[in-house]
Amino acid sequence: MKNFLGGLLLGAMLVVLAAFVYLKLGLIDIRADAPMPGWVARILYTGTHASVRRSVSHGENPSPDGDDTLIAGGKVYLNDCVGCHGEPGKPPSEFGLTFYPPVPQFPRAGSNYSVSEVFWIAKHGIRRTGMAAQASSYTDQQLWTAAAFITRMRNLPPGVAKAIEQTPVN
Amino acid sequence: MRNLFLGVVTAFVLLPMGMLGCFVLGLTEIRSDLKPSTWESLIMGSAVRASVRRRAAGIANAATVNNKTLVAGGKLYVAGCAGCHGELGKPFREDHDHFPPAPQLTYVPTQYSEPELYWIVKHGVRMTAMSTYGPFYSEQQLWELSAFIHQITNLPPDVRVAVLSK
Repeated sequence: MKNFLGGLLLGAMLVVLAAFVYLKLGLIDIRADAPMPGWVARILYTGTHASVRRSVSHGENPSPDGDDTLIAGGKVYLNDCVGCHGEPGKPPSEFGLTFYPPVPQFPRAGSNYSVSEVFWIAKHGIRRTGMAAQASSYTDQQLWTAAAFITRMRNLPPGVAKAIEQTPVN
Repeated sequence: MRNLFLGVVTAFVLLPMGMLGCFVLGLTEIRSDLKPSTWESLIMGSAVRASVRRRAAGIANAATVNNKTLVAGGKLYVAGCAGCHGELGKPFREDHDHFPPAPQLTYVPTQYSEPELYWIVKHGVRMTAMSTYGPFYSEQQLWELSAFIHQITNLPPDVRVAVLSK
């Protein structure tokens, strides 16, 4: 038993040392322009989703359901999110796809996250990705409307899509 | 001896599996509006530096440095990089929104050589907000940019003026 515990400790030290040497020698590939292997993507998306689910307090969404909220959110989205996340009705954002991990293309792929979760992500960002925290640029109220828009983007009431197209982006 | 070996093997399996398990179960913090810990910055920062050094080592420096190329690079910087990496002539503003934070190049001189900067801009750095700019800039533009960034904290005064003028 004593030997086993000693081995455990030795093994743990070896793992840490090996990781350290690997990183320090620059052997890790850090290029963002290589495709992300499928298994890496699965692990990253699963862990991210699980962490978001854990962190979000399912407080009340202060924005009323309805077209006005979606229109307001659509404007925020068109103002600041389209550059990376893609514009509705257009091909995916070339720029968004040059990140590692690539930026999710909402108009095409939608989102697996709830409104509260999208709000939380927009506000706090996701570390080790291109997703920056937006709290310094937008109020909570604006982010809630954007979250509502993003979760409904592929299924917008017809009036909303039209109103957003017609309103000039400020 | 056999038990010692078993212990080592168990650690080899348990440690990575445990870390993976914690991540997949959502037990790790993922918000980007908190500062990275000092040890994380140290380890990840030196891993990135080591990897860039290794991969850019074979690239011959093709940057031609004169006022004309510096101004050209500066214009590219103002248009495409300043949003995250700091605006020329503006006060220092720490990046609290990205994780890891984008280096504020206008105040903190880069430790990378021109070929290394060329490599970083061209390929990007994975698991950061630094995306790949290879598809958007020509080779010449990439070299102009790297020459400019290399000298950004120490620019000839007339280059600075020319870059900031519309």
